[in-house]
Amino acid sequence: MIDFSIYGAKTPTIKAYKCLTCGAVYYPAPMVCGKCSTRRDPVTGKGWETFDLEGSCVLLTWTRVWNLPEGYTKKYLLFGIVQFENGLRASGQLEVEDPRIGMKLNATVKESDERPGNPVNVFVFRE
Amino acid sequence: MAIKVGIVGIGHTRFGNSSEYDLADVMAYAATDALQDAGFLERRREIDQVVVGNMASGMFCHQSGVASSLISRMDMEPVPAELVENGPASGASAIKIGYMAVASGMADIVLVVGGEIMRKVSGWEATDLVATILHSEAEYDMGLTLPAFGGMFTRLYMEKYGLTERDLALLAVKNHRNGAKNMYAHIQAPCTIEAIADGPEAAVVNTYVAEPLRMYSTCPVSDGAAALLLVNMDSPKVRDFKKKPIRIAGIASATDTHCVHNRKDPLRLEAVRLAAEKAYKMADLGPKDISFAELHDAFSILELAISEEVGFFERGKSFLAVRKGETDIDGRLPINTSGGLKSKGHPVGATGVSQAVELVRQLRGEAEEGRQVRNPKYGMSVNFGGFGNNVVALICAKD
Repeated sequence: MIDFSIYGAKTPTIKAYKCLTCGAVYYPAPMVCGKCSTRRDPVTGKGWETFDLEGSCVLLTWTRVWNLPEGYTKKYLLFGIVQFENGLRASGQLEVEDPRIGMKLNATVKESDERPGNPVNVFVFRE
Repeated sequence: MAIKVGIVGIGHTRFGNSSEYDLADVMAYAATDALQDAGFLERRREIDQVVVGNMASGMFCHQSGVASSLISRMDMEPVPAELVENGPASGASAIKIGYMAVASGMADIVLVVGGEIMRKVSGWEATDLVATILHSEAEYDMGLTLPAFGGMFTRLYMEKYGLTERDLALLAVKNHRNGAKNMYAHIQAPCTIEAIADGPEAAVVNTYVAEPLRMYSTCPVSDGAAALLLVNMDSPKVRDFKKKPIRIAGIASATDTHCVHNRKDPLRLEAVRLAAEKAYKMADLGPKDISFAELHDAFSILELAISEEVGFFERGKSFLAVRKGETDIDGRLPINTSGGLKSKGHPVGATGVSQAVELVRQLRGEAEEGRQVRNPKYGMSVNFGGFGNNVVALICAKD
């Protein structure tokens, strides 16, 4: 087994944001806290902390898209919106055989190079 | 006392495939129509302001500065001209800015033109380019598109209210019936419920786009332009026009979260509700006063959801009204008399202006035989930007 960690390969993550003044959490990042109006400086990050958005979540709705945009080579892709235990919600890809609204899922993150431009981190929700 | 603003000229190209033409030429065609309609073509340099609505000429046509280009094509220099962009609601936003110019007293006569050429690129590219209005990291990068959100919204609505795929097909049948009689419509062909829902070949004819949305619940990709000439109704210049003005009784817009997943109730379209409320208040009217409406049915579910948000029907009940024919041309409240985006087409930057053209045609009594509403007094349109994150509502009145 090759240990790829020695090459500095990073596990892809997607960050959520917490305002340290009032404790409100956000995904995606705001520039100003919606509750207490604390400003977020994207360079210093002062006054805010970040955490990985992943793990247990519930499926709110889903679709199977057959007309994928330029760049995708698959026949179709499933997408869904989920809610995490901390109340945050996210949209992303869904890899579930038989999706049902309300089912429990696990949010993971993968690097995707399907769209034009640099590779990006995307959510993949699985059972 | 507020200045009254009226529409004295309308113009419209036939929506469809105009990809061999230049965007500014297509816009100029509709603008010329509007000026001729108003009897003001020869005096076009007396116009105080031109406002152009366009979403993405840079991406679709590799072309920028379309407002300036339009002025030149029409030999209208030195009339001031600017571009307004609000995604698929760029057209109605251009009307709103034009209205504000007249209502503020800065201008007496304003030409508003909305246009888009989308078919210079492939359908796949068009879907991708329209998707750039979504949140760049949290939606677009995930692979999401507007049809994906349409599908997820439809599934939630079905789950909560019992809407069926056949109900969506009924909307397509109604809107294609209207569009078949509209000389400006992209798809001038009726369809039957047998062909797209009940018959043995329906699943093949009407394939899934974003489940549970099928092809006949999704608008086509279209090219085209539409134009309006706005005038200060209190100015003596109003007598210089050939046609009596149709008054803009109310126009307002509102915004909602960029990310759809961040809405408290993902089935609510708050920006639609707020824009409509403000427009009603401005017009001193309510939903019961409206004679007919043009609602942004980029996906058929939106015709239903918008009709509920603006107060025409109780929440979760609009599709029952469609089943009873209440939104047909001869129904209690005709909706999408033009054929809607489904049949008339949806050149994104043109749509809001096109909806206003339909309001004027109906209020003047100029719609084609078989799709003219009987004695309408007030018409309402809702133009939907993004997936409902920037919405404009317009109410026009026949005084």
